Amino acid sequence: MALFMDHLISWMIAVRFIGIIILAFVRDENLIRRIALGSTVVEVFLTLILWRNFDSTQQGMQFVERVEWMPTFNIQYAVGVDGISILMVLLTALLCPLCVLCSWTGITTRVRAFLSLILLVEGAMIVVFTALDLFLFFMLWELTMIPMYFMIILWGGPNRIAAGLKFVLYSLTGSLLLLVGILGIYLNGGHTYDLLVLTEQNYSSDQQFWFFLAFFLAFAIKMPMVPFHTWLPDAHSEAPTAGSVILAGVLLKMGGYGFLRFCLPMFPEASANFAPYILWLSVMGIIYGGFLALAQTDLKKLVAYSSVSHMGFVTLGIFVFNSQGIQGAVLQMFNHGITTAALFICVGQLYERTHSRAISDYGGLHKPMPRFAALFFLFSVAAFGLPGTCNFIGEFLVLVGTSYINFAMVLISMGGIVLAAAYMLWTLQRVVLGEPKTEAAKILPDLSNRELATLIPLAILVLCIGLYPGPLMELMDASVIHLIHQATGM
Amino acid sequence: MALFILIPLLPLMASLMLLLGGTRWGENSHRVGIPAIGFSFVLSVAAFIEVLRNGPFTLSLNRLFQSGSLTIDLTLYVDQLTVLLLLLVTGVSGVVHVYSSRYMIGDSRYNRFFAVIALFTFSMILLVMSGNLLLTLISWEVMGICSYLLISHAAERPPAGRAATKAFIINAVADVAFSFGIILTFYTFGTLDIQTILAQAEGMQDHTINILGWMGMDLQIYPVTVIPFFLFIGAMGKSAQIPFHVWLPFAMEAPTPVSALIHAATMVNAGPFLLVRLSPLIILSPYAMTFIFIIGAATAIFAGIVSLTQSDIKKILAYSTISQIGFMIMACGLGAFAVAIFHLLAHGCYKAFYFLSTGNALRSVDQGLEHVNHEYHVPEGMGILYGGALLLALIPPLVLFSGSYEYLWGVTGLVSATIGFKIIGLITVFVASQYLFKGVTSLFVHGPKTYWPASGQHNLETQSVRPRFFNGSILTGLFLTTLFAGGLLTLFWSWFANFIAPVFNFPGVALGEGAVENGFPFWLVVSLGMAVAGWAYAYSTQIRSQHQASRAKGRNNKWYILFWNKGYFDEIYDAYLVTPTIKFSNWLWRIIDIKVIDQFIHSIATYSVYFAGWLWQIIDIRFIDRFIRFIGTFSVKSSGRLWRVVDIRWIGNKVGKVAEQANTTGQILKEIESRTIQHQLLVMIFWLVAMTGLLYIMIE
Repeated sequence: MALFMDHLISWMIAVRFIGIIILAFVRDENLIRRIALGSTVVEVFLTLILWRNFDSTQQGMQFVERVEWMPTFNIQYAVGVDGISILMVLLTALLCPLCVLCSWTGITTRVRAFLSLILLVEGAMIVVFTALDLFLFFMLWELTMIPMYFMIILWGGPNRIAAGLKFVLYSLTGSLLLLVGILGIYLNGGHTYDLLVLTEQNYSSDQQFWFFLAFFLAFAIKMPMVPFHTWLPDAHSEAPTAGSVILAGVLLKMGGYGFLRFCLPMFPEASANFAPYILWLSVMGIIYGGFLALAQTDLKKLVAYSSVSHMGFVTLGIFVFNSQGIQGAVLQMFNHGITTAALFICVGQLYERTHSRAISDYGGLHKPMPRFAALFFLFSVAAFGLPGTCNFIGEFLVLVGTSYINFAMVLISMGGIVLAAAYMLWTLQRVVLGEPKTEAAKILPDLSNRELATLIPLAILVLCIGLYPGPLMELMDASVIHLIHQATGM
Repeated sequence: MALFILIPLLPLMASLMLLLGGTRWGENSHRVGIPAIGFSFVLSVAAFIEVLRNGPFTLSLNRLFQSGSLTIDLTLYVDQLTVLLLLLVTGVSGVVHVYSSRYMIGDSRYNRFFAVIALFTFSMILLVMSGNLLLTLISWEVMGICSYLLISHAAERPPAGRAATKAFIINAVADVAFSFGIILTFYTFGTLDIQTILAQAEGMQDHTINILGWMGMDLQIYPVTVIPFFLFIGAMGKSAQIPFHVWLPFAMEAPTPVSALIHAATMVNAGPFLLVRLSPLIILSPYAMTFIFIIGAATAIFAGIVSLTQSDIKKILAYSTISQIGFMIMACGLGAFAVAIFHLLAHGCYKAFYFLSTGNALRSVDQGLEHVNHEYHVPEGMGILYGGALLLALIPPLVLFSGSYEYLWGVTGLVSATIGFKIIGLITVFVASQYLFKGVTSLFVHGPKTYWPASGQHNLETQSVRPRFFNGSILTGLFLTTLFAGGLLTLFWSWFANFIAPVFNFPGVALGEGAVENGFPFWLVVSLGMAVAGWAYAYSTQIRSQHQASRAKGRNNKWYILFWNKGYFDEIYDAYLVTPTIKFSNWLWRIIDIKVIDQFIHSIATYSVYFAGWLWQIIDIRFIDRFIRFIGTFSVKSSGRLWRVVDIRWIGNKVGKVAEQANTTGQILKEIESRTIQHQLLVMIFWLVAMTGLLYIMIE
């Protein structure tokens, strides 16, 4: 048991790659799907064990494991979780079974490859969120990009090649800057990649300025912050459903996680100096994303642009450096993962039925598909932060945190919430309400049990977190206080 | 005591059961909702008695969450104000439940309807019981989304969807101000607990905050003065005050019982309730009070006149509600919070009855439309409607203007304004009695002139359901109950004033003191006179046929056209807010996002390719290549020259060998030159140099 509990994170990673190896030896497609699902569900259980044994009163890293990897360069295999990363790991583990489920019938060619890629990206993301060694972090950060690229170009929509290329080029630019930053702090921080050691280092103002810039740009592209966001709508709209879910649900969170894990604790001075610009950029992103979502005619692009708007709240909360702001931002990341994933799954289910993503092709879905209509409604209202659903708590906390800095930002960001209400309800009105447009639309089959099983867990989470966010907030409370202490000295 | 938690919990549980059960409940859905609301009502009565005996109490439940200094506890606060509204909400909702159990028969979304009205009731109950502003905000918004669901009940009708979206978005705009007010409250008071805030409010009067600190400037504001503004704007949205009133007439897309719920018990009452709940805070801000008064008065008069010009009875009723709520808001603005609550209760009772009897009558008209000669078809239930109209027009003002109310006014220090209040009040009475009279008569005496869409959905179903449709006894019972409640309010108003007084225990205000004046009820008579005058005027213009010609003439009046078009609010919003927003977002997407930002990224890519091409064509082929060849040829030439000039055998031999070697080097270099490899090498070298430079800068 000790072997299990002491190496829980390694077990989680190992289970992921064992899953891929098993998949390599199976021929039957249905069996492949079941094995993939089973292995992701095992991962969920492992994460729940992790959660159960996590001591939320401690500030530091827990479940830490360290093994020398390349001693010449001081590179270690070092993993561990704190209150912030455990939420990200939970989110990752939670969404992946749903990804497998939602590509059950949608993916018919090269099933094994597709599911292996999902498992691969899940494993890589778990390492990214738990890595305590910058080299390990960077390697796996890069690795997440490759499965995504193949998912887009092999199973994507009509414009997939261009979208995939754009995604890779953007990501590579970010990675290059990240590499530069990592090498920089390696050379200046005592020739080590150990995150905990590096966090304790003091860098001069100039160094902080340049390092922060490199890290910031890398994470800002991943988030994505306006104006680095143009890869997102293309990648989202061309990716298959599971790809969009992973992309929006978890991959974007690597950016926010990066800010919290690297920028704030390592470069507090530069963070404070850059904060006003980043805050205004975030506010701009919230409004800009909202307007752009309002203009969309394509369901997937609409959800993609709404992500841009929602991720604005994340950066807004992170860079106000107070407890409400950062807790709100982490919650917002978690909640956005849930709601956006749910919306993408919903759109994917529609696409499987009609092979159209244009809003104008739909109408009156409440009649043939009442179950779908109810769930789509729930996720839509959650997406614009209706109080009582999960997004509200995150956005409210971020705004409370921002009010300590600037009231103008609070008011403008709230405009983004109105825009969100406008584009989501307008979409609902056009897609769900009214009369079905064609005869074919009147006999669309409602959600099957498998599709319900994909959405119901998310619906339960939306309501549970919305009504009782206490447990999640307790989980990260100590870590956030520690982080604020590192970032502001308070 | 803990039992009172069930008051909000029962409707919530009923709603959840219905939602989860789905269509399985079918036409048994009301069997879940009615007992739940019924028990809620019984418990509300118990809470009323409890408050009557022992005063206000607090129910502290779980802690929702904590973040830094922000702690949110699930607190329910029950005081005199709460219990009165609880009685109204659960009472009216119960009646609406019973009524709808018949009215909605044959509707394909019977279960959904009951689930949502239970949720609607729950959110209003939570709102009136909430002891925490965040809880208030949650119930506030849940109510909004319930109204969305109910307005879009007839989902296949496009106008229903539009109306629902419109209602919610208008509320969302107002709620921005509301949420901002709440955030500002937390910033100022450091808590969201309502009772703590109200207790601290007076001490915080001189507290200032700097709102331009981020610009390095200094602009101090008094938060206690500013907060009521923002909170009130939220209230304007829910209570349909100018300029947010446009959603309420469109909300008539909902089935008629829902209108009764929205207009009488929930939603629109949230605004006056909020003002009264926070009255100790709001009264500290004279500017906000003036603003509230102006908005209320403008709404009361404007909506009253608009309702005079409408021909659809549901529109008439909608504008009448807007006008009446404006009246309550105006009373709040003058500090007459007790009057506002009194009017709210009275209006709630009568409006519920009025809507339900209209629903009854509309059903009859629907059926009447199948007859050929329906022009003068007089439906059953008309007498009750007349009675309701009479009550609505007369009794509430009668109550309102009983002269003994004087002492509620004086103490707020706004004595001079009471005259203005009375004048506006009288105008409202005059107008109200007219439009109600007109509404009833034009519908039932002249027969229906417009075929309002909301009832169209029932058209096909009514034939089959007619035998199961509710009978007059429900309505009569309703009528008597309303009369009883109204009568109670009318007779025991002084008791009411004493009962509600502790809610407004702000300093300098001593309500409930002094005995009833036994003088001549001057204002009572005046208001009655105004009401009768309104009826008489309406009769003279509407009923008597010889005035038809003059009526037609009057309709060409530009003022008439202005009000008939509801002041063009909808058109102005469409033209100047909605369309520009959508155009702007399209422009932002097509021009800024695609043509500027994305194009910029693309041009970086394009120029990189150009640059690579240039590197290859110019640097690679012309420069490096030539240089190598030049070295080759140069060494060959120079070695040849050396050989010729320095013609010494032994030197010649050696030099000859060198020259040969150089020659071969040049040849070999030429041969192994592979453009791709060189190209890649060059690019790598380029990046290496750039990276080293960057690193160098950073390390330095």
